[in-house]
Amino acid sequence: MAGIQKKAWALVLSLVLALSLLAACSGNGGNNEASPSPSASPADGQSSEGTTGIDTSKRVELQLYMLGNAPKDMPKVEAQINEWLLEDLNATVKFNYTTWTDWDQKYKLLLSTGQDVDLIYTAEWTQYQQYAKNGAFLALDELLPKAAPALQSFVPQEMWEAVKIDGSIYTVPSTYKEYVTGGFVWREDLRAKYNLPKPVDMDTFEAYLAGIKANEPDMQPVAVGAAVDATLEDALLDFYRQNVGALPYGLLAPYKDPSNMVNYWGSAEHLEDLKRFKSWADNGYFSKNELNETESNQDKIINGKAAALFSDNPTRFNSMLNQMKTLHPDWELGYHPFGLTNGYATPVHPIHNGFAIPKNSKKAERALAFYEKLVTDKRYNQLASYGFEGTNYTVENGYYKPVGDNTTNGFVREASNSWAWRNPSFMIFEESYDGIQAIFDELDKIQVPDIYTGFAEDYTTYQAERAALEQVMKQYLFPLMAGQVDDVEGGLQTFMEKANQAGLEKIQESYKQQWLNYLQEKGIQ
Amino acid sequence: MKIKEDSSTKWFRLLAYTVVLAGSILCLLPFLLIISASLTSNEAIIREGYNIIPSDFSFDAYKLIFLIPDDVIRAYGVTIFVTVVGTLLGLLLMTMAGYVLQRKDFKYRNFFSFFIYFTTLFGGGLVPYYMLITNYLNFENSMSALIWPSLMTPFLIILMRSFINSAVPDEVVESAKIDGANDFVIYYRIVMPLAVPGLATVGLFLALHYWNDWFHSALFINDAAKYQLQFYLYNIINTTNFLNSIGAGAGVVLSGPVPSESMKMAMAVVVTGPILFLYPFIQRYFVKGLTIGAVKG
Repeated sequence: MAGIQKKAWALVLSLVLALSLLAACSGNGGNNEASPSPSASPADGQSSEGTTGIDTSKRVELQLYMLGNAPKDMPKVEAQINEWLLEDLNATVKFNYTTWTDWDQKYKLLLSTGQDVDLIYTAEWTQYQQYAKNGAFLALDELLPKAAPALQSFVPQEMWEAVKIDGSIYTVPSTYKEYVTGGFVWREDLRAKYNLPKPVDMDTFEAYLAGIKANEPDMQPVAVGAAVDATLEDALLDFYRQNVGALPYGLLAPYKDPSNMVNYWGSAEHLEDLKRFKSWADNGYFSKNELNETESNQDKIINGKAAALFSDNPTRFNSMLNQMKTLHPDWELGYHPFGLTNGYATPVHPIHNGFAIPKNSKKAERALAFYEKLVTDKRYNQLASYGFEGTNYTVENGYYKPVGDNTTNGFVREASNSWAWRNPSFMIFEESYDGIQAIFDELDKIQVPDIYTGFAEDYTTYQAERAALEQVMKQYLFPLMAGQVDDVEGGLQTFMEKANQAGLEKIQESYKQQWLNYLQEKGIQ
Repeated sequence: MKIKEDSSTKWFRLLAYTVVLAGSILCLLPFLLIISASLTSNEAIIREGYNIIPSDFSFDAYKLIFLIPDDVIRAYGVTIFVTVVGTLLGLLLMTMAGYVLQRKDFKYRNFFSFFIYFTTLFGGGLVPYYMLITNYLNFENSMSALIWPSLMTPFLIILMRSFINSAVPDEVVESAKIDGANDFVIYYRIVMPLAVPGLATVGLFLALHYWNDWFHSALFINDAAKYQLQFYLYNIINTTNFLNSIGAGAGVVLSGPVPSESMKMAMAVVVTGPILFLYPFIQRYFVKGLTIGAVKG
């Protein structure tokens, strides 16, 4: 016994020693870094450069983090930008890319471990609202007028208002206006050939699918893919039940009456919709093996394996159309935005693309000043979005034209994933963009604001239930949606039982409460 | 004189051969599929799925890869460098550790053995690990992040210790000492030559670990020129997976090159091919290694 105790003490002691060693290292690391102390900046006016009211006397290296893969020519672009930036702000910047491998985990690590990060991409699908609410980002309200006055006036006031979480600005929104709303995609040449109806609502869409099934037995009428929750349920709720957004936890709140939030899962409507999907599967509109699909739905359209998509956004539709045209010039694609049937369409929320400064950035002022350059300075903006003119692209008749193709060109249009620093006045588009613009113009006529994306859910009180529910969904709801359960009613009952065991009611109750509070706070009826 | 086999042995043989044959065919099939898919045109794969015999034969995928092969070559370079340096350095450190830990005259050997063993049971988890590498050691974006973390594995140290223990009798060490050898001379003149089979095994395990590693690239490397081979491949697949999983609502359109189905397969062949040919030659060491591992720990 005594021996074990002695060993245990020795162990604890060595652990403590090891820890103190590490702590010592951290102290040194902190001191070595060139960190401009925030208190010193406004006082000494002599070192600050004319236009910006910040201290640029010490040279710093900014760390910018973007999602995705870096284009091949990024180092060259970075070198050129640094040349300008040294002159303008006495700083250099490093464009870091997370790749798409475990990007969400990496994103979390970057923000939670106190790493040297000065600018990081934000969007609603990277959980900007939650991170901002949990204090991962620096509030920019006071920093903006000082470090980036031009940027502050460039972004419209209502956009600054829209990205506020708990009353503070945490991200710089992109001002490029686009629609990522859904719409039916179908093969127009086949529709005309077999004289099928144009899909504008559920009935005509189903008639089109039935017509394809009857006339083109080798084709799969609609591509769904493994993510059936998004491609079937969310799409149907968005279009058919006019949900305010892709609400989680089986909740449904109509856009026209958002405070009337109801439980969709387990309701008569849910059963009806599941039966609809079941009939699609039974009629062979999509494959029995859909949950195991790995090929993308878009590829299936492009290569003629599938004949329709339930829902896709205008930009993706257009890129699909162009890729298909290069392979099969005689094929045609049709598109009908849901908005035209429902009478309203929501442009993207300002949260959709942005850049934030993490809380522990030591170079926040310079980072924001650089971001101002990136957005409002044409040189910076176009270089970081399109590469070098002449080497990577040329401009013909006002249209963007790439040099070479995807494999030989080291920086194709927006390959740097420059979504957030898009500036409408400097943007150059490919000729094919006219197709998207035409759709956008139509949707502009019926536009209404997005009221869902500004909502920041706080799930700390039901985190465990949330994880459990996710498992239950995968196990019981996905096969139901994919039409793999023969007894739909019984299957739905089982799912509801399991979901309630996982704590669905607690989650929904809390979410509803937060939602109502949010609506009241923003004054939305 | 030949011993006559009875019929039950024959039947057993037949059964055993059938099972092994079926098993090896099952193992081979996926490889065949990959190779044939890499030789099929992308359009045919999407329309008809995978076939053992390419339905629409084409070399396009390979042409595209070797049009600009510098990425693949660079990734090969990184992986080979990391594997060679990591294995040599790791072997040096682990044999030294194993040798010291088995010396009977090292008073605290049990404590230190336990200290090493302890880490296999309890780890800090990902976040502290990440912080250690990036914030304290500042290994981010350097080869160090790929080499250091895997240099010493508790399992292999303990394997090395018990191997040296059984292969080098204490008496040999003692007599060397009497002849005037110091501890380090004993280590590299006496112990190392006797422990060659152990070295081969541990070295193989280590080399294989370095060769197959992608995780450290994923976490710590931002510079595309320093990606390991496996990560390079894995990331390509992940990019396509991301595009499939992200909903229409996110509105993400990637403009960079997204590889087609057949290109992914060709990439897999290019990346795994060479090591596949190497494997039959080093396989016997694996078998040996497993039996070494079976000796008491």
